[in-house]
Amino acid sequence: MLARTRDIVTYRDLLRNLVVRDLKVRYRGSFVGFLWSLLNPLLLMGVYWFVFTQLLKQGKPQFHIFVFVALLPWNWCASSVLGGITSIVGNGHLIKKVYFPRELLPLSIVIANGVNFLLALPVLFLLIFLAGMHFSTYILWLPLLILTQALFLAGISFFLAALNVFFRDTQAIMEVGIQAWFFLTPIIYDAQDVLPKLAYWMYWLNPMASIISNYRIILYNNGLSFLDSRLVPAGGGPDPAFMLRTLLTSALVLVLGYLFFRSLSRRFGEEL
Amino acid sequence: MTSPAPAHSIPDLPADAPAPSAAANGHAPGPGAPTPGLRGPGAPVAVPRVKVIKFSHVSKRFALHQQRPSSFQEMLTGLFGKGRRLTQPPAELVPVAREFWALRDVNMSVYTGEALGIIGENGSGKSTTLKLISRILYPTAGSVSVRGKVSALLELGTGFHPDLTGRENVYLNGSLLGLNRRQMDARYGGIVRFAELERFIDTPIKHWSSGMVMRLGFAVAINVDPDILITDEVLAVGDEAFQRKCLEQIAQIRRLGKTIIFVSHALEAVRGLCSRVIWLDQGRVRADGAASAVIDQYLDYANERHRTRLLAEYATRHATPGPLADGSSPPPADAELDATDDDEGEVTEEPGPPAAQAGRWGNGQVAITDVTFLDAQGAPGNVFTTGDRVTIRISYHAPQRIDHPVFGLAIYTESGVHLNGPNTRFAEYDVPFIAGDGHIDYLIPALPLLGGVYDLTVATTNHDLTETFDHQHRRYHFVVQPNPQLAERWGILYIQGEWQVGACDVEDAPADAPADPPAGAD
Repeated sequence: MLARTRDIVTYRDLLRNLVVRDLKVRYRGSFVGFLWSLLNPLLLMGVYWFVFTQLLKQGKPQFHIFVFVALLPWNWCASSVLGGITSIVGNGHLIKKVYFPRELLPLSIVIANGVNFLLALPVLFLLIFLAGMHFSTYILWLPLLILTQALFLAGISFFLAALNVFFRDTQAIMEVGIQAWFFLTPIIYDAQDVLPKLAYWMYWLNPMASIISNYRIILYNNGLSFLDSRLVPAGGGPDPAFMLRTLLTSALVLVLGYLFFRSLSRRFGEEL
Repeated sequence: MTSPAPAHSIPDLPADAPAPSAAANGHAPGPGAPTPGLRGPGAPVAVPRVKVIKFSHVSKRFALHQQRPSSFQEMLTGLFGKGRRLTQPPAELVPVAREFWALRDVNMSVYTGEALGIIGENGSGKSTTLKLISRILYPTAGSVSVRGKVSALLELGTGFHPDLTGRENVYLNGSLLGLNRRQMDARYGGIVRFAELERFIDTPIKHWSSGMVMRLGFAVAINVDPDILITDEVLAVGDEAFQRKCLEQIAQIRRLGKTIIFVSHALEAVRGLCSRVIWLDQGRVRADGAASAVIDQYLDYANERHRTRLLAEYATRHATPGPLADGSSPPPADAELDATDDDEGEVTEEPGPPAAQAGRWGNGQVAITDVTFLDAQGAPGNVFTTGDRVTIRISYHAPQRIDHPVFGLAIYTESGVHLNGPNTRFAEYDVPFIAGDGHIDYLIPALPLLGGVYDLTVATTNHDLTETFDHQHRRYHFVVQPNPQLAERWGILYIQGEWQVGACDVEDAPADAPADPPAGAD
């Protein structure tokens, strides 16, 4: 285990280079470059805003912020999971030829998408500002929340990347699964609208539901409470116990996912 | 050494190993005892002998794939749908454990400063060994310990991304080999200079030629100060000059006391580069010792195997015709060639199987019925030694009289290099006519071929060479064994040239200054 950790430290520059490669390759050759990673959620936001406020008469104030706050972290999740699944299989040519800690491949995907997420945050803040909303001190919870999400995504990616080596169907299944996951996570609807009995299960089975709810509490509900306190009865910030539980769950997912990955990674070289 | 801490050093490797305990099966000439010839003039680096690779009782099993479900569907149909599966015949449903042992109980130790060659036939476990050393595979049983940084030239340019520039790829590839940015900064200039790609280094490599990409890959792999450099048949990079540069760099790495492992089918290249050779045979160490000794042993074995095969073929061929099988007179012409008697023109292919054989054509007016190789005493055989007197006897059957036919032959190496092609017409040797059965001999006074397996083509045509009666392309084989009295062993030919030293210009040259042999020479 110690040797393993030292290995990762030795190869830390590989991790950085993989992340940089991922970002560079993504934006090189495209005219708008980095803007694409912003444009995508912005356009989606526009679609949801149109459907839910113009077509469907949704009552949420500042609905575009309501959706955008959840869409950005969701995009981080979706692209990490989909990219992570193929990170081992897609780099078979490397794995069969060179030794390096295989963990770095899924990890680099999660980090590269995390960087994208961080780069999009200022735009979110700008939108919040333009909507006349305010920021509360609860925003200080944000780093912890981002960490929680990173741990969770790394764990899931480890698990799926290794599984996909042995069962290539994982990839196909998750392409559909990610759609279902999207709707089972409170992104285009409010977690508080879920039946309480089911909400319990939603939070327990889907850490992304907890994570996204927290993003919304920190950036939307509290911002909005300044605007119109009647609309958001609960007022206050995120529940520390809830945050902590989510963090622990994510850490557990990471540990289990990593152990799963570790136990299979020695066979990658011959399975690919 | 600026390289990072050994990535994979295992406690059971003593830092300072005692002299090598020769290997597994006790072949002993101190493998890797410093070969003076390989230590060039400016290489006084005193490197302590350290065991860098240790295989103890290593076995590697591969599950052959078709049995294992690789998707949920296969797994489910495998569980529930056994009888109904349409894609595979029922026989394959029996869960036979199909496995393949690529290595079995291999023991070996490799020390710093050694250049180890691994030879063996295809499938003998060479690549598996390399992959175990470079931690791409892990053993099924036994343990592999490796100390230090391994750089494997298994496939050059591995990890290059076409959309990135040469510079970006150099850094990416360097980090793939475990170097950090600072270490790569220090080596970057040297790498680009080595690859001679200064002009293109900042363009995406998708615009490069594949040769340029390979050169860059080689330059990176070889300049990252590996403790162990693994090469697998990859020296065929770039032009002659670049190859030479690569070999020099490899020799330099060796002089620094690093370990080189070289896998190749080019035995003479292995002989030139390696001090020690391990011969793998079906996953086991067959021999381990001084390079030349093991390679010679391997060649003997390969020749012997080929000889046995040839003898078996010879026996079958001579057994088929029937009563005359062991008589010394030529066997009767094959049935299908008899048929041409009344059926002029093309060889008819109806009765006997041999007519359809690949590599044989002709109109059949004359059939070459057999080729035998005779030694100096006139005894038939297929195995000779360099310098032997050899007679190639071509037996023919001509159903009708043919005037002034031409007989010819050609010798090829096993790999298909055409060595010669004499015929009676070039030699202005007139065969007045032939009819019925007979033979013609080609006499080689002293066989000028070095050890190896050779193929023989025989043919007979009309006098103008316009009509081919029978042409049999590389259908006969013979083996040449190295002559123990001859030191010459590189290449194919023994042409008996002579050396003569010329006058020396330099007046004050010390009479007995021993010239250092060039690196790489043995």
